[in-house]
Amino acid sequence: MARIRNWFEAFLFAPDSDRWLALLRIGLGFQVALFCLSLQNDWNELFAGDGSGFIGRDLTEAIVNIESPFAPKLGWLVAVGTHVGLGEPTTLSLLWFVLLCAGCCLFVGLFSRFAAIIAWLLHVCAVKSGNFLTYGMDNFTTIGLFYLMLSPLPDSYALDARIWGSPNKDARILGFFHRVLQLHLCVIYFFGGLTKSLGAGWWTGVSMWRALTRPPFDIIPLHTLLTSQPILLFVGIAVCLIEIGYPIFIWWPRTRLVWLILILAMHLGVALAMGLYLFSSIMIILNLAAFGPGLIRCGRIQPAEIQEWTNPNNHV
Amino acid sequence: MKQRFAPKAFYVIAFLLHFLLLLTVSCQQTFWILASGYTSLPSSLEKYWRKAEAASGVALGQGFDLANPVRQTVSSYIQSAGIEGGYGFFAPGVPNSYKLVFQLRYDHGRMEYDLPHVTDVETGLRLSSLLDEIGRTSYEPLRELMVKMLAYAMWQEHPDAVAIRAVFGYVEMPSAAELRGGKHETYNFLYAYDFSFGGQSDPKQAR
Repeated sequence: MARIRNWFEAFLFAPDSDRWLALLRIGLGFQVALFCLSLQNDWNELFAGDGSGFIGRDLTEAIVNIESPFAPKLGWLVAVGTHVGLGEPTTLSLLWFVLLCAGCCLFVGLFSRFAAIIAWLLHVCAVKSGNFLTYGMDNFTTIGLFYLMLSPLPDSYALDARIWGSPNKDARILGFFHRVLQLHLCVIYFFGGLTKSLGAGWWTGVSMWRALTRPPFDIIPLHTLLTSQPILLFVGIAVCLIEIGYPIFIWWPRTRLVWLILILAMHLGVALAMGLYLFSSIMIILNLAAFGPGLIRCGRIQPAEIQEWTNPNNHV
Repeated sequence: MKQRFAPKAFYVIAFLLHFLLLLTVSCQQTFWILASGYTSLPSSLEKYWRKAEAASGVALGQGFDLANPVRQTVSSYIQSAGIEGGYGFFAPGVPNSYKLVFQLRYDHGRMEYDLPHVTDVETGLRLSSLLDEIGRTSYEPLRELMVKMLAYAMWQEHPDAVAIRAVFGYVEMPSAAELRGGKHETYNFLYAYDFSFGGQSDPKQAR
């Protein structure tokens, strides 16, 4: 029992550098800024409370309130705005701008901790208040921001560290949050792969065909898909195997590099073939932060690092 | 000087609780997929998957009353951490996509057809999520209210329309073999709602 406990503690609190945290911060800053810019034209319409947009914020928040009254919502902040004399459109625009600024601050590492908390809060508010209008990307961004907010910021690559000096961080705590992110990704891919594998369609190419022809993801012309139909069978099976094998092969030093490249290629493919750019970017960011440090430096793969990663004697 | 941190036990307990919730939510969604008969597993097992799904719900506090503070706290935490949904995207199969068409009726019997408007691709993806949500909603009054809000947004762009009929359905794409045989996508009717917003500003007041 004591051996298991010691192993568990050594695994969970393995000392680590803050490079993964810098990657996560920069990536999420970029993602939050993209999220804001992508909704720039529709932000007020999407979150209007009076039903002038698609679905009134009041309805969505009322439904979320039934089971999760303590989950943050835009309605809380709009009420504060009303209290100080700001109209709803002004408050909503202001919140959009603050979220964009938080994303930019995260990107450069200025007021990192505060920016991470604000970005998480406003992002969760937007996601919960527009609950019917969300998709997978929003959940993954919330997950990333939640871990980032709790992690020991600022990292040594942040502007904060240049301006105010870099406080010594406990390498075991850095390792702990890194592990949490790594394990969460394993859960995500394992369950994603498992549920896909249980359906016959992913083994016959039918689900790949349907995914690529289903509006609004049908950006590849049908005649192109028809000519490449045999590839869809292969890709469908590959998606199942890559996802379900992720929790095993991403930990094994011999296969880690290969699996990371496979999963990144899969998400790049999703972006290009289905137009899910923001979804793919958040998955690539989370994967790079979780398993990328040591592989990428300044956008270049260092040969020595590849050697280090593929060395079977190395541990995560 | 090193920063001071909470004791290691605090991190371990927080980790165990967080991952217990994460795994329970993921298992619950997987059991729901299995219980719904969407997989190639024997249907005789479905009753067991249903029980497992219910047990997962109990672990998440869903056995308590909606107003129970434990249930509300657990649910709020799950929502705030972004772990409320499982990860079965497009699993076990890829569902059909839904479509909402508005028939706008004007004075003197003139009619026009229109679709919900979006200004960019990202909002289009979100609209698609909304239509999927409407399609999945089994509670009829909520579904009607959601369609009514979309119809109201459409009426604001066409205020001279005297009535709007919202027709909700799903698009069935042909398989590769069907496409080769000359079959095209088909639009299948599910629901239709008639609304009239003239002289009213609140969609909830509409007929």
